[in-house]
Amino acid sequence: MIRLSNVSHAYDSETIVEELSISVEPGEVVTVIGPSGVGKTTLLRILALFTRPTDGTVELDGTSVWDVDEEERLALRRRIGMVFQDASLFDATVARNVEYGLRVRQPWRDRVRDALHSVVASNGTPEAVEQSLDVVGLSEKTDQSARSLSGGEAQRVSFARALAYDPTYLFLDEPTSDLDPRNTDVIEKAILEARDRGIGVVVATHDMHQAERIADRVGVLLGDGFTEVGPAEKVFEEPDDERTRKFVSGELVY
Amino acid sequence: MPTEPVVHLLPALAELPFREGYVRSIIYVSLYVSGTAVVLSTLFSIPAAIVMGFTDFPGKQVVKAIINTGMGFPSVVVGLLVLFAVSNQGPLGSLELVFTTEAMIMSQFVLATPPITAISLAAVTGVSDNVRDAARALGGTRLDVALVVIKEARYGIATAVLAGFGRAISEVGSVLIVGGNITSSSGISKTRTLTTAIQLEARQGRYETAMVLGGVLLALVLTVNAIVVRFGDGGAMNQ
Repeated sequence: MIRLSNVSHAYDSETIVEELSISVEPGEVVTVIGPSGVGKTTLLRILALFTRPTDGTVELDGTSVWDVDEEERLALRRRIGMVFQDASLFDATVARNVEYGLRVRQPWRDRVRDALHSVVASNGTPEAVEQSLDVVGLSEKTDQSARSLSGGEAQRVSFARALAYDPTYLFLDEPTSDLDPRNTDVIEKAILEARDRGIGVVVATHDMHQAERIADRVGVLLGDGFTEVGPAEKVFEEPDDERTRKFVSGELVY
Repeated sequence: MPTEPVVHLLPALAELPFREGYVRSIIYVSLYVSGTAVVLSTLFSIPAAIVMGFTDFPGKQVVKAIINTGMGFPSVVVGLLVLFAVSNQGPLGSLELVFTTEAMIMSQFVLATPPITAISLAAVTGVSDNVRDAARALGGTRLDVALVVIKEARYGIATAVLAGFGRAISEVGSVLIVGGNITSSSGISKTRTLTTAIQLEARQGRYETAMVLGGVLLALVLTVNAIVVRFGDGGAMNQ
């Protein structure tokens, strides 16, 4: 389980998120909904161990991640995948992109050997890469340059890239905000497949309908913190908090 | 006869002094000095560009200003400073490097480093933060992230290295001062490069030899520039 307890974060003394507490189990989809600029990206960056919060604790399976040394934190970080709003693919083939996470986990001796071998012959595509590309429906694009993909395809490759090394947790920041309905559908199905594989998925989105379609639990981030965290049906049907009720019913509460 | 001037020149071409590998040795010294200087400069410049591109430290703007100024350093001044450094009274006097290819490499290193560092730095800082974040998010260490940045900036870095080589191979002032433009008694170049040889041959009135050497130098520089353009196009095509 990954758990944030009373986490606050400020940039240049300006508070971005305050007193956030949430936990995510493997095998569930948690969506974080809230208006733009409310700190969803900051929350995901804290969850992905990218950003050290100015206050509070982040625990992964009981280990307080900012109290261990960098090497141990790298090992913890390698159990996590994060997909950004921008696909940010490397200037290489689709397969090389998806393979990246596997490659950096190999010992240097193997990496150098593979790099030398690739000069004279193909190293082939690892099975995990093919499987991940299959999940996002792009297995036929393996050898294509990442630069030649459409925006939707690039985002799907970005998802496959994080899935390939089989993380325990996967954090997605507005993964479908720029996508058409078909690509959105592919990503949503891939999220559910990741969950079925036992991955704990957190999706930050401002698309409430998407949250309803995929979430097991929902966290509503309004203003200075979570107004409500709970099972999707409860948050959408009968929320305890008045501001949450207004937000999920489409009223402007910010 | 329209072909007459050409026919008239042929005996002159046949009499050019290609004796005992003179031209070949000059080309060798030029390529050895500039090639070694650029390799050493690249080994220094790329890590420097990566460090400057990745970190903030006090005085970073001053270092950048010095590097940018260094791109316009007059080569004769660099030659003079290196000559002082390696002369008997200089800090490196005990190494006895005056009029050696090693001293020439030193001066060309000083000349090639600013453009290679500055152009590499521009290429490295041009790599999107999102790409760095992606490499880190996928489990990359700092070294992995640096390697990704180098790979993404490869066209710019290649352009930087080739631009540094272009500056080194076509430079005349510093190699003349620190190298001394020396040949052995058998006429084989010791510290004579294409540029210093052209200067000498022209001064002594052997214009045909100077022209041939000029043609060789021009061909080398054009080749390098053709590669730069090709790499540049490669980068542009992949944007």
